Amino acid sequence: MRHKLLARGAVLAATAAILGGGCASTPPPPEPARAVVPAAVPAGLDFSVPVDYFKLDNGLKVVLSRDATAPTVTVGVYYRIGFRIEPRGRTGFAHLFEHLMFQGSANLGKGEFNRLVESNGGILNGSTRFDFTNYFEIVPSNTLETVLWAEADRMKSLAITQENLANQQDVVKNEVRGNVLNRPYGGFPWLSMPQYANSNWFNAHNFYGDLDDIDSATLEDARDFFDKYYTPSNAVLVIAGDFDPLQAREWVDRYFGRLEARPVGPLPDISEPRQEQERRVNQVDALAPRPALALAWHVPPRGTPEGHAFGLIDELLLQGEDSALWRRIVQEKGHAGSISGGINLLGNSFNYDGPMLWTVYLIHDPSVGPDEIIPDIDEVIGRLRDAPPDPAALQRALTRIRASLYGLAGSSTRFGLVDLLASFALFDDDPGRINRIEEEFRQVTPELIQQVAREYLRPGNRTVLVLEPGAAQEARP
Amino acid sequence: MKRIVLPAMLAVLTWQPAIAAETPPPPGQPRDFTLPGSETLELDNGLRITFIDYGIVPKVTVLAVVRSGNIDDGKSTWLADLTTEMLKEGAGGLGSEDIARRSAEMGGELFVGAGGEQISVGVSVLSEYASDAAALVAKVLREPALPEDQLPRIVANLQRSVAVAASDPGSMAAQALYEMLYPGHPFAQLLPTQEQLASYTLEDVRRFYRDNFGARRTHVYVAGRYDRAALEAALKQAFADWPAGAAATENPPQAGTALQVRLIDRPGAPQSVIRLAVAAPDPTQPDYLAFTVMNSLLGGPFISRIMANLREDKGYAYSPGTSLSVNRRAGLWTFDGEITTADTAAALAEVYGEVERMKSAAPPASELSAIKNYRTGLFVIGNSSANGVLGQLAFADLHGLPDAYLTTWVARVNALTPEQVRDAAAHWLDLSQATLVIVGDLSAIETAVRALPQLQGATYR
Repeated sequence: MRHKLLARGAVLAATAAILGGGCASTPPPPEPARAVVPAAVPAGLDFSVPVDYFKLDNGLKVVLSRDATAPTVTVGVYYRIGFRIEPRGRTGFAHLFEHLMFQGSANLGKGEFNRLVESNGGILNGSTRFDFTNYFEIVPSNTLETVLWAEADRMKSLAITQENLANQQDVVKNEVRGNVLNRPYGGFPWLSMPQYANSNWFNAHNFYGDLDDIDSATLEDARDFFDKYYTPSNAVLVIAGDFDPLQAREWVDRYFGRLEARPVGPLPDISEPRQEQERRVNQVDALAPRPALALAWHVPPRGTPEGHAFGLIDELLLQGEDSALWRRIVQEKGHAGSISGGINLLGNSFNYDGPMLWTVYLIHDPSVGPDEIIPDIDEVIGRLRDAPPDPAALQRALTRIRASLYGLAGSSTRFGLVDLLASFALFDDDPGRINRIEEEFRQVTPELIQQVAREYLRPGNRTVLVLEPGAAQEARP
Repeated sequence: MKRIVLPAMLAVLTWQPAIAAETPPPPGQPRDFTLPGSETLELDNGLRITFIDYGIVPKVTVLAVVRSGNIDDGKSTWLADLTTEMLKEGAGGLGSEDIARRSAEMGGELFVGAGGEQISVGVSVLSEYASDAAALVAKVLREPALPEDQLPRIVANLQRSVAVAASDPGSMAAQALYEMLYPGHPFAQLLPTQEQLASYTLEDVRRFYRDNFGARRTHVYVAGRYDRAALEAALKQAFADWPAGAAATENPPQAGTALQVRLIDRPGAPQSVIRLAVAAPDPTQPDYLAFTVMNSLLGGPFISRIMANLREDKGYAYSPGTSLSVNRRAGLWTFDGEITTADTAAALAEVYGEVERMKSAAPPASELSAIKNYRTGLFVIGNSSANGVLGQLAFADLHGLPDAYLTTWVARVNALTPEQVRDAAAHWLDLSQATLVIVGDLSAIETAVRALPQLQGATYR
């Protein structure tokens, strides 16, 4: 809730420092969970994620993953309701609702959830994504019971007032202004591209919310949304870190087991039709000093062999400075200082469940237009459609996937790890998949990669977004 | 740094929620936290190597930190950035593509970055490649090719970044702030001009490299899991014969003490971006810790006063807060907010009010305990990953802090009294000496801002 819906740094970020600096006074952002798992590693270095998975009678999914290296524990509660699913005329509602979950529940007044966590040495936040809304805390491990009690309290009931709602409407409008309206490249391309590339309203609306829609939300909307989607059977609780397994289980039973089962509200059809014709959109950004370009393709269904093949295509083409697009567009042609993107710009290739885009974007100079840049992109992509990938490049992609999973598991916040466990539980009913994913990637053949590239990297499956700089006169420092 | 155990560091805090029918179960007995150990060697040429052995996953970070950066730019703003970016373009017979591929084969990506006082070159890789990673980092640091044919492209990239940054209201505000705060110092110019960047030659880059890179200024950190003997041997071999080079520059910036204001017009802007800054203690000063705890209480987490007031009560802003940023021997306290245009002057008045309250009365013990717990909790989180410990040690090294800085940190925080916290605010937060920048729609905000009593007598620049 304090963090942006999107880590907005994507375009403007200075180089991400490994160096941490001194003592942070604000919570660290959840690290973007990118990928995956271990396979054959030298003896003594083998690593797998402990996963204990069960369900309560009311349908709540629970994942426990113990790692007692440090006396901290991370708790994540993920509800399977994201910003795709919000009522028409109420764009931005799922995210506004996320804010309301900090405004009071049966036994905690406004602000008391925050106080309970922070005053006991923890940090907390929430975020809203395509297909889930999450709430997470990282706390000293002796505070686990307190946090479980509090999360159960707000799963049981929401207790907000009109005054709290109005306050958070103001806060959220300021969030949107700061992250989108009052900055150059504000919604580019993470917020705007889905609106152009998708046909189904649920995938194609402004999910941060039109300010008028945010203002229109009522307490009744909130109650209705809570009743429909914030049910135990529509959620997963993940506990990762330092805990006593038997004790943790007892607390989960005690505080969550007593919540009544409730039916989950109906979900609309979010499917996208097969795109046959390329779309091209021009957008003027009044604050931007340089032009920018984004391209997006619909990707294969998540978690399938084709989906994994596309995950490797993303690695081969776009991830890292050894990737094919980086070499061509940045290094050889000098069209841009970087080329960025991926599957699901608001997460990774695992933490969503529905239609999704693979997006590539860059900021360039006015002296080189899209008609010069796009053919270079096409040429690189064409190579993958014409022939299977280079084995050495494929090996690097798999190595990167393994290394990034280790990075998640070794993080002191464990946010990325919790996110993957929650996603595999919510969307696959199988959090243990975390330990098999690398193998699933290894099973993808070079031929399948080529086949998937031919079908999904078709020009007809693509949307081109051209951002024209409205502030083209050079900003002079 | 010795391995030490911090016993039962958190005071257990319970309280009665206002509307509670059922009270939260109180926290249990805290578990001790063992601060991860580290060991530092110094080679004959002055290069230091710190080993941090920590973690459950088979990864290791090798990061070299050179005590240089924009502080050595002189009037050539971002020459440090340009030189640092050029390091990736080839080294020791490897081309840029070779460097990228080698890094990727090890499961990582070479990172280079220039800051105000630290230039970093590093890579995080799978543990089995620790020695190879050390060799690659050494090659890039010691034998950069600095190829002339890549210079125009890198300059164009920096020009693009500068143009984009200069259009962002936050960067605009920061740029104006530093210009007014640190006149005559390299930090005064946050962003170079397009023309400046265009004027830099390969000879400038070579000179910057020659003058500022060397063993004496460099500290290599390794953190994670690795074969210690093999990695130590690899690092010694890679760095032992690197010439010492010059000592690091000592040139702390000194913030001005006049009340000065700049209002930057952005017609139609829906928010005002505010930066209000004044000099603050650096980590070597006795009341630094009291000041940072005060700062957290004032404008840090959700429970801080400014968040509670400006966000949760008034709805003026999404993420208003205060921060302490420290250079070597120079600290700066800043309030930072993106405020609804119509509420700009009202929000600023609230900030002045909260600072005044902080200065005039010691915080209630319960409020201070909550913040102490918050900070010690963050300390544990920050020190419970290999890269987290690396960051803490690099911070301590930059500022020349003794080992005891980290080992006694929790005890010293817990010993702070409400009066010390108030005194730190009273001593440093003299806002009649502050510099204020607002980037916003002046037609809507200027009259009300200028009427604020705290700004009477200010110089508008």
